Amino acid sequence: MTALIIIGVVLLALVLMYNSLVGKKNQIENISGSVDAVLKKRYDLIPNLVSSVQQYMAHEKGLLNNITELRAKAMKPDLSDHDKITLDKEITSALGSILVAVENYPDLKANQNVMHLQRTLHEVEAQISAARRAYNQAVTDYNNAIEMIPTNFMASMMNYQRKEVFTIPETERQNVNVNDLFSKK
Amino acid sequence: MASVNDLTDFYYNELYPELKILEAERKRVKSKVTLVLGSIGIATVSIAAVIGKNTGFNDTLFFILFAGFGIGGFVYKFMIKDYTAEFKQKIIRPLIRAIDTDLRYAPLHHVSESLFSHAKLFTQRIDRFGGNDHVKGTMDGINLQFSDLHAEHKSTDSKGRTSWHTVFQGLFIVADFNKHFLGHTVVLPDSAESTFGSFIGNWMQSNNYSRNDLVKMDDPLFEKEFVVYGSDQIESRYILTHTMMKRLIELRRRAGAKLYVAFSGTHIYIAIDYNDDLFEPKLFSSLLEYKAAMAYIQTLHLATGIIKELKLNEKLWSKH
Repeated sequence: MTALIIIGVVLLALVLMYNSLVGKKNQIENISGSVDAVLKKRYDLIPNLVSSVQQYMAHEKGLLNNITELRAKAMKPDLSDHDKITLDKEITSALGSILVAVENYPDLKANQNVMHLQRTLHEVEAQISAARRAYNQAVTDYNNAIEMIPTNFMASMMNYQRKEVFTIPETERQNVNVNDLFSKK
Repeated sequence: MASVNDLTDFYYNELYPELKILEAERKRVKSKVTLVLGSIGIATVSIAAVIGKNTGFNDTLFFILFAGFGIGGFVYKFMIKDYTAEFKQKIIRPLIRAIDTDLRYAPLHHVSESLFSHAKLFTQRIDRFGGNDHVKGTMDGINLQFSDLHAEHKSTDSKGRTSWHTVFQGLFIVADFNKHFLGHTVVLPDSAESTFGSFIGNWMQSNNYSRNDLVKMDDPLFEKEFVVYGSDQIESRYILTHTMMKRLIELRRRAGAKLYVAFSGTHIYIAIDYNDDLFEPKLFSSLLEYKAAMAYIQTLHLATGIIKELKLNEKLWSKH
């Protein structure tokens, strides 16, 4: 009887561990889907931005070409998580440079279409930042589970590997101050 | 918006003639109340003593003491009614006007029960709901309203005796929020982690079936103070940016009480658990006393200040 109880408890613990690991892996996949959705939203804005600013920004042609190329790469299907994270970082930095460069063109800065694009981009950036943070939390929970005792034994049997987190640039930890952005002369 | 210092100056300088009249009135009401309540107290104790001597300690004696206490409370409320109304009219109303002339004050009204329920900050059933001192208006283009609220829950024991339990008593604020969102996010004081430690507390929080999913936040200070539940992991983080988390920590520190925050529809809901009826005159302390004046001013400043404090007036991006 005692042996049966012990076997029952051990089996229950194994089932709980298994389910918890699968739950954590699925949570990453679920949030990863949402990350892709907001990233796609940003990729869709890039051609509009480029076409709205390119005739003014003759000197930043390299920057515009670069972002168009990065977008093409990012739109490819079946990208690995690592590639997705690397491309996201590069696009964030390139977009940041374009938005800073806009400040040097008074006509462009006052252009309603560009202003609308800027606002939309900033909103999407905030959503991407939130999605990254949600993804990172899911990955951290998963990484903890596959490295901590006792779930690490089960994880190694299931061949679960550590996953990579998005790193958020320090500047994005600050909320963009829209008042500052639009009152700059 | 007027600062705390401006309001303190206004209280003492502009309201001084009214304060002097009211202070004389307070003293008069205080001595009357002391006399009447003292008499009721003596009468109750005397009746109880006579009955107790003849019959011993029983239900009748308990009833007499209870009735004496009830009558005392009723008489007290009745006696200070006019003084309270005058205080609100002559002191609280001008203070609110000094903060912003667009704010409307209704001393007998309160934030509606439907708004309170919509916030889903408290999961208990509400059986009695009341409040007063309703302030409503627009500041910096943001719709804002707040009032004192008292929400109670009724329970009945096996002998059929009912008792009332306070679910929430304090300041309840509703304002427009500056971002688009669809789901529901609540930020609650972290009592589980602070009582049971992070391991058990965290397990309890993630298994709270009366709430949406637990949203773990990436700010250790915020996580220590609050627990977040949301219908959408990403949306909750979209609302609770690092800056917003810092602002909420600061707001809790300023409020000096438990803070409950909900984001739902197009609004932010803030409940500050003071466990007290605010904006009421204190009969037994002077109106000219600095501490009493500051309590009214700071509460009003805190409620109206959330627009600046949480930067709700910065309508971000595409929200117009």
